[in-house]
Amino acid sequence: MSYVAIKNIRKTFNDQTVLHDIELSFEKGELVTLLGPSGCGKSTLLRILAGLTRQDSGTISLDGKDITNLKPKAREIGMVFQSYALFPNMTVLENISFGLKMKKEDSQTIKNKVARMIELTGLEGKENSYPRELSGGQQQRVALARSLVMEPKVLLLDEPLSALDAQIRKKLQQQLRTIQRELKMTMVLVTHDQEEAMAISDRIFILNQGRIAQQGTPNEIYARPANEFVAGFIGNYNVLTKEELARFIPNVANWSHSIYAIRPEAFTLKKDGKSYEITGLINQVSMLGNITRYTIQNDKMTMMIDQLHQTQSTLQENESRTFFLREEDIIPIA
Amino acid sequence: MKRMNWFAASFLIPFSIMVLMFLIVPILSMIYDSFQKSGTGFTFENYQTVFESDFYLQAFANSIKISLFSSLLALFAAIFATYSLTKFPQSVQDKVMNFANLTSNFAGVPLAFAFIILLGNSGLFVLLFEKMGISGMSSFNLYSMAGIILIYIYFQLPLAVMLLFPIYHGIQDQWKEAASILGASNTQFWLRIGVPVILPSLVGTFSILFANAMGAYATVYALTGSSYNMLPVRIGALVSGDVFAQPELASALALALGVILVIAMLFNEWLMRMVRRDLR
Repeated sequence: MSYVAIKNIRKTFNDQTVLHDIELSFEKGELVTLLGPSGCGKSTLLRILAGLTRQDSGTISLDGKDITNLKPKAREIGMVFQSYALFPNMTVLENISFGLKMKKEDSQTIKNKVARMIELTGLEGKENSYPRELSGGQQQRVALARSLVMEPKVLLLDEPLSALDAQIRKKLQQQLRTIQRELKMTMVLVTHDQEEAMAISDRIFILNQGRIAQQGTPNEIYARPANEFVAGFIGNYNVLTKEELARFIPNVANWSHSIYAIRPEAFTLKKDGKSYEITGLINQVSMLGNITRYTIQNDKMTMMIDQLHQTQSTLQENESRTFFLREEDIIPIA
Repeated sequence: MKRMNWFAASFLIPFSIMVLMFLIVPILSMIYDSFQKSGTGFTFENYQTVFESDFYLQAFANSIKISLFSSLLALFAAIFATYSLTKFPQSVQDKVMNFANLTSNFAGVPLAFAFIILLGNSGLFVLLFEKMGISGMSSFNLYSMAGIILIYIYFQLPLAVMLLFPIYHGIQDQWKEAASILGASNTQFWLRIGVPVILPSLVGTFSILFANAMGAYATVYALTGSSYNMLPVRIGALVSGDVFAQPELASALALALGVILVIAMLFNEWLMRMVRRDLR
């Protein structure tokens, strides 16, 4: 049996079903991500796991124990909120030790555990600061420490990094992953940022309109999107119908599927084994740092192509070029 | 440095003139008057009279007691009433707030009259309870300190509700959720987080209620004439003159009243900072 097993969870708000009999499970020590656009039900599912929202039906078990009807504090689950939810009238030290005090741990234990968390999250020197005196990144680390110090069986993170600027977000993503591995903590991260999900997850569950659209490792999901929604949501896939594809590749008439997805970086300028030739007019060139993105057009149909940036060989707009695409990089999805 | 916009600032001129004429000048003249005695020049005699007279000291004591109790009781009731109000739908909240606005301004002569009709010596409820054989009401005297406190609470409570209403929106639901996940009960949340967070607003509201009660004149005057000894009634009597006017003595009393309000405010601030160390 899985460490965490969610079975047939259904939730309806005002006649609108936001979760349709969700089934998912994961193992101890995994960092799993619930990924999806806003309104897909991922935060609701997280709140149901924490016991903050009641499901209409379904069960949740944790470490072999049914926790479906337990109160939040009895579930041994921690949660970090998007808005940090730090107590403004308490110092960093008081915020982190709050839960342990509620548990009536003795003061020496509290002192030791809190000191360890402060060290782990790099908050040394901020012990006596109040939340309003801290930066967003520091506040989020306090929120993380406050949950981790309780040694929960599962830690839930509700878009914990989305209010931070890009640079700090990247740094905290790595720090989160390092801490998770060091403590072998089971974590569930909710995010709408596919890059973030790809970067730090062991496993990703993609949600769409209250249903799981696909689950798998980041690699599996990126390489083999299971349906049109996932292909459109992950990366910058070119999603084309068979008819649209026919404008670039002849002889597709007898192919079995009706929709195909192609990663923009799968195109090469050199022929490599059994490849299709894709020819078109380059009508847009945009620099995205380490890659250059070209839009090529053929018979009113466009395709996005990413190439690693090379100063010498940048292609020009209005230039007609032929790219090569290997057969296995055309992924049938529907 | 930001350049001053003289055009925009010029709109402040009429307001500044009004504040100067009707607030600053009267206060300065009051301070000056309080140290004058007709014909004798600068003197402390007025203050001597005030602080050596048992009668005036009793007026201070009565005013402070009534203001303190009515403010504390109204604040205490408002804390719960307002919290309960935040749990109702928006439309109900709007209606109750409108009603609170109305009733908080319903003070003075009409209010005193309403209470006389309901709870006076031959008031509606007094007679009704007498007929029903409930004896508790017969010992209640509207024209006593308890009666005056009751009337004061009537206009203090809605004011407190109006002042406290916005602060509950400052309590984030996620603080409650975070606290509950960390093992705190609802009571523990309010004791350790909720109340300390709203404390500055409670203290501010208390200061306003206290000042409101200390200065209230018409209600108690309409209810008791000048027979109940309170500070605003005494000041009123000295200005309009039951026998003859003594504006200098009235100024000294008024200044003492102002000093009491300032002391009360400073004490509240100090007390709050003892609890909310993060606001230091």
